[in-house]
Amino acid sequence: MMETFGLLAHGLSVVLTPENLLLCLLGAVFGTLIGVLPGLGPVATISLLMPITFSLDPTGAIIMLSGIYYGAQYGGSTTAILVNIPGESTSVVTAIDGYKMAQQGRAGDALAIAAIGSFIAGCFGTLIIAFAGPPLAQLAQQFTSPEYFSLMVFGLVAAVVLANGSLISALAMIFLGLLIGMIGMDVNTGAARMTFGMIELSDGVSFVAMALGLFGVAEVICNLEDSASRALNSSRIERIWPTRAVLKSARGAIFRGTLLGSLFGILPGGGATMASFSSYALEKRVAKDSSRFGNGAIEGVAGPESANNAAAQTSFIPLLTMGLPTSATMALMIGALTLHGIAPGPNVIMRQPDLFWGLIVSMFVGNVMLIIINLPMIGLWVRLLRIPYRLLFLFIIVISAIGVYSVNNSPFDIYLMIGFGLLGYLLRKFNAEPAPMLMGFVLGPMLEENFRRSMLTSRGDLMIFLERPISLGLLFISALLLLSIALPSIRAGREDVFQE
Amino acid sequence: MKQITLRGSADLYLGLLLLLISGVVIWYISGLEIGTVRRMGSGFFPLALALILAGFGLILAIRGVLTRGIGAGPITIRPLLLILLSFVVFALLVDRIGLIFAIFAQISVAHFASDETKIYQSVIFGAVLAVLSAGVFVGLLNMPVELLP
Repeated sequence: MMETFGLLAHGLSVVLTPENLLLCLLGAVFGTLIGVLPGLGPVATISLLMPITFSLDPTGAIIMLSGIYYGAQYGGSTTAILVNIPGESTSVVTAIDGYKMAQQGRAGDALAIAAIGSFIAGCFGTLIIAFAGPPLAQLAQQFTSPEYFSLMVFGLVAAVVLANGSLISALAMIFLGLLIGMIGMDVNTGAARMTFGMIELSDGVSFVAMALGLFGVAEVICNLEDSASRALNSSRIERIWPTRAVLKSARGAIFRGTLLGSLFGILPGGGATMASFSSYALEKRVAKDSSRFGNGAIEGVAGPESANNAAAQTSFIPLLTMGLPTSATMALMIGALTLHGIAPGPNVIMRQPDLFWGLIVSMFVGNVMLIIINLPMIGLWVRLLRIPYRLLFLFIIVISAIGVYSVNNSPFDIYLMIGFGLLGYLLRKFNAEPAPMLMGFVLGPMLEENFRRSMLTSRGDLMIFLERPISLGLLFISALLLLSIALPSIRAGREDVFQE
Repeated sequence: MKQITLRGSADLYLGLLLLLISGVVIWYISGLEIGTVRRMGSGFFPLALALILAGFGLILAIRGVLTRGIGAGPITIRPLLLILLSFVVFALLVDRIGLIFAIFAQISVAHFASDETKIYQSVIFGAVLAVLSAGVFVGLLNMPVELLP
């Protein structure tokens, strides 16, 4: 306990340098910005800014990139409440009651409760990382290659939950990602694999090009298709501090949303989006009068907004302690860490204490910055909503082109991004979500490496995965999870959550 | 804008796309050493993954033919082609005529991808973007790229 506080104090000393404070603020501002603007998500933005962080030290880079992620959770609610368009997928349910409240002239209440709930949840989630991270990492340190292989399998199976299309297409997306992850030089034999004779591919497919193509470019094209005018009429905000009565009625929902979100964030495949949906469903169930939901119930804003922010923080736990990404955004964080020469896993806490504790403290600092950025300065962000998409998309494509080019200073990566843009566009049209593909891509090389190592130690005996208790347990849970998604009755329940 | 509506279900097209990808991969990696489970060659994992992917593609294609699922979304040719083309233009030009003109070229192609763009806005915004990118990427971040021809 005391030890943790000592380490947090060390983290504070890391964050309190002008450079890291500035990066934290930049992350918070960028995050709010893309959260507010519909059609620009954290995945595209983080992959866009990743090349720029090359010149920074790894701690500062991760502080900024993660600030974008949790900052987007704050900003997303603003758009959802004021104009009924979710700025982020995590704010879809916030729009239901939040927008109703705005129409009733209670926009200020909704915005304030969303920000306060996010703040409380964000701080709580960060505390959980500080206290649960080190013991989990210690546990993970006992893992050898069979356990890692099973852990990766578990993570991939859970990623299926992320996609709301059909089970088969989500599984197919994972395997497509795994396959693309194989491109490049084979580490064991040095043979070039699937490079199609292109020397540029020998180091593998550029992560930035792939993420930006699948999410950035494909999204721009889809957004340009429906030329239904994006006229955004926002309601007026009168006062920004909620009355005591509003605070009191939101208290329980914030509390429940925080706990639920913290739990969902840790689970692979959970993530912030699932957390907010589940929280809304929970609030509706525990409410005395559930008919208020959909008509401007404050709990419908407080619960999901707390849940998505708590989950955004705690999803860093599996990443930093086991190297397991639980969502596409966390897969990007793995990419960012790897680019800086840090292998995500149980050794991060021991070998990179500056990074781990600095990141945790930066999350506290970032949450304080965010509540200031989002409450008193709300007017500024509302004005930003008036930027027409016909200008915004030009900005996005130019920055994408320069960003991808700058990774290797070669036009090759731009062509790669074009290819992935086309692929991402087609997948969307064919009702398949590209998010699980990114997970497969990141986990593919690790999956192969650990499988091959296991096979070497067991002399080709597949039973090794079932003989070790942790590995067996992980595979068993994965099988259960897969079964529960495949069974039609439970699947109908899953779709209910998405439709509610 | 003109749209192409694909007949049949989304599953069918997804299945065909996956079959195409896995087919190309299997054909291309046939030269790699497969090995055994005990001593895996470099081709073992890719081949296994490609075969599984082909299996999924086949299931999806068959399901798409047999059942009437969700149809494939309509494809709008103009934004698709012009946005992708605008990136090609940037990639072709950036090493030849410098960053600033490459940005202008990209925007002048992308301008026509939307019905809502206005020529004077795109020109002014393009100029702002070119100056800003030059300042941030080359001035601030020292990106090694020529600004002008």
